Amino acid sequence: MIKIENLSVKIHEQNILKGVNLEIREGEIHALLGPNASGKSTLAYAIMGFPEYEVTSGKIWFEGKDITNLPIEERAKLGIALAFQNPPSIKGVTLSALLKTISKQTFNVKDLPVSFSEILEREINVGYSGGERKFSELLQIINLKPSFVIFDEFDAGLDIINLEKLTSVIQDKLICNDVSILLVTHRGNILNFLEPDIAHVMLDGKIVCVSNDWRKIWKTIVRYGYEKCKKCEFPSSKQ
Amino acid sequence: MKSAKNVNFLQVNNEIRRLLAGEGVIMLPSSQAYRKLKWTRDHFETKPEEGYFIWVKKQISHPLTTCIAISSPKISQNPRNLIVIEKDVKTEVHSICNTMKKNLYGSHIGHTKVILKEQSTLQMRHFHKWEKGDTVSSSLQFHLEEGAKLSHVYKCSAVPEKLKTELNSFLDSSSSANIETAVLAKKGNINIYDSTFLNGEGSSATMRVRMVADQDSKITSHSKMTANNAGIGHLDCMGLLLSENSSISTVPELINRNKNATLTHEASIGRISQDVLNYLRSRGLTEDEAIDLIVTGFLREAAFYYKGHVLPSKIYM
Repeated sequence: MIKIENLSVKIHEQNILKGVNLEIREGEIHALLGPNASGKSTLAYAIMGFPEYEVTSGKIWFEGKDITNLPIEERAKLGIALAFQNPPSIKGVTLSALLKTISKQTFNVKDLPVSFSEILEREINVGYSGGERKFSELLQIINLKPSFVIFDEFDAGLDIINLEKLTSVIQDKLICNDVSILLVTHRGNILNFLEPDIAHVMLDGKIVCVSNDWRKIWKTIVRYGYEKCKKCEFPSSKQ
Repeated sequence: MKSAKNVNFLQVNNEIRRLLAGEGVIMLPSSQAYRKLKWTRDHFETKPEEGYFIWVKKQISHPLTTCIAISSPKISQNPRNLIVIEKDVKTEVHSICNTMKKNLYGSHIGHTKVILKEQSTLQMRHFHKWEKGDTVSSSLQFHLEEGAKLSHVYKCSAVPEKLKTELNSFLDSSSSANIETAVLAKKGNINIYDSTFLNGEGSSATMRVRMVADQDSKITSHSKMTANNAGIGHLDCMGLLLSENSSISTVPELINRNKNATLTHEASIGRISQDVLNYLRSRGLTEDEAIDLIVTGFLREAAFYYKGHVLPSKIYM
């Protein structure tokens, strides 16, 4: 599905990612854990192709195609989607107008187990609560019918009840349709609802730990903090 | 353009092609109204030769639609329109002025006066669509008697090389006006003059101007709110610059002559943020498609929301 080879990225002349390797297969859920400013979101934006994230070395492959130099919209059309942590406000443009423009599939919002449908006729992200922002992001992504989705800190700003409801929508509309997922998180709350197949830990622009037992990694992080990951003690971990 | 069969008044070039008033409405060519109804002469600056007179005497359930179009080369139109809404009557008017083809090099100098009698209500939508070679000057006057309510939207989505619009509103006591102007300029030089006079106690008005300048355009907006009595007024001017070689100037002016009046204004001119463009591109839109969506939304924000409903603008444009 997506393969990242030895990726280094800089922003405004500052090297952020330093040789990242990551492979996600069809239908897999991966978690990318790490403290603030470790480079997790940079990886998300670099995969999406944001121009200020300059790839200095390495490649990004998607379904066998080198997309390292593709513009954002081409990557979106191939099936890559990103749920933003802090999406921008767009005055004058309603969520329903955007959905109408981008939708590759239709479904009835009222069928979803969340009650934010009134935001459809409001301007995008103008005065939205934390929950409404996440719902808006999820709604757009489902409408795009993607094959690979990055959720950047999706659990930030969400109470536990709404997190449970929205993750059930992710499960039903994306995971059940074999969509591959990358969960970028430093809190880890979302992992309790969407159990990842593989967890990665990123520190200072490098993936320092990979394991198919996310609970073991998370337990260590909760107990000792991310500092402990600098001296990874799990023999099954690699990279 | 809206289908002609739904239009109450249709003037093409200098000829009236259709004039159809329903029950409760008197509709005449302005020249006839001037001749037959002497009182109308007080409201026409000069003897009119073109244009319409609409007198809404009773409540009607459907909007009245007028259309003044140019379809032949080098036509010069000079419509003088008069609309009178009687006391306690609520009505809706859609007014369209446009050119139907490219390279007609027409001239349209329109004057419209609207009188809203006591406690009457008017929702008026005024759409313009022109080609580059046309010359257009549009002047509107609203007179609101006690307790009258006005909602007026002017939108020009295709500007001529030079466009001048002038709108003056005079509000008596307890009357209110919501006036919105939205212009999308490409290779155009646009001058907008909007003035509102709060002449009566308890009158209130909001004037919103939304301007988008692209492809070597220049837009200047002069918005003036004058309080001659204890009223409330607000000006809101926003501009969006889409190209380096365009400019937008906004000149808001507040004049308060009554210590119990409150006048405010806000203004901003900017460009589309790269963050917003990238966000929309991540949804699969090209940069041009993203700009179109933002511009449509920006102009729609001012012009097309009414009680939470989006007006079907496409049927008029």
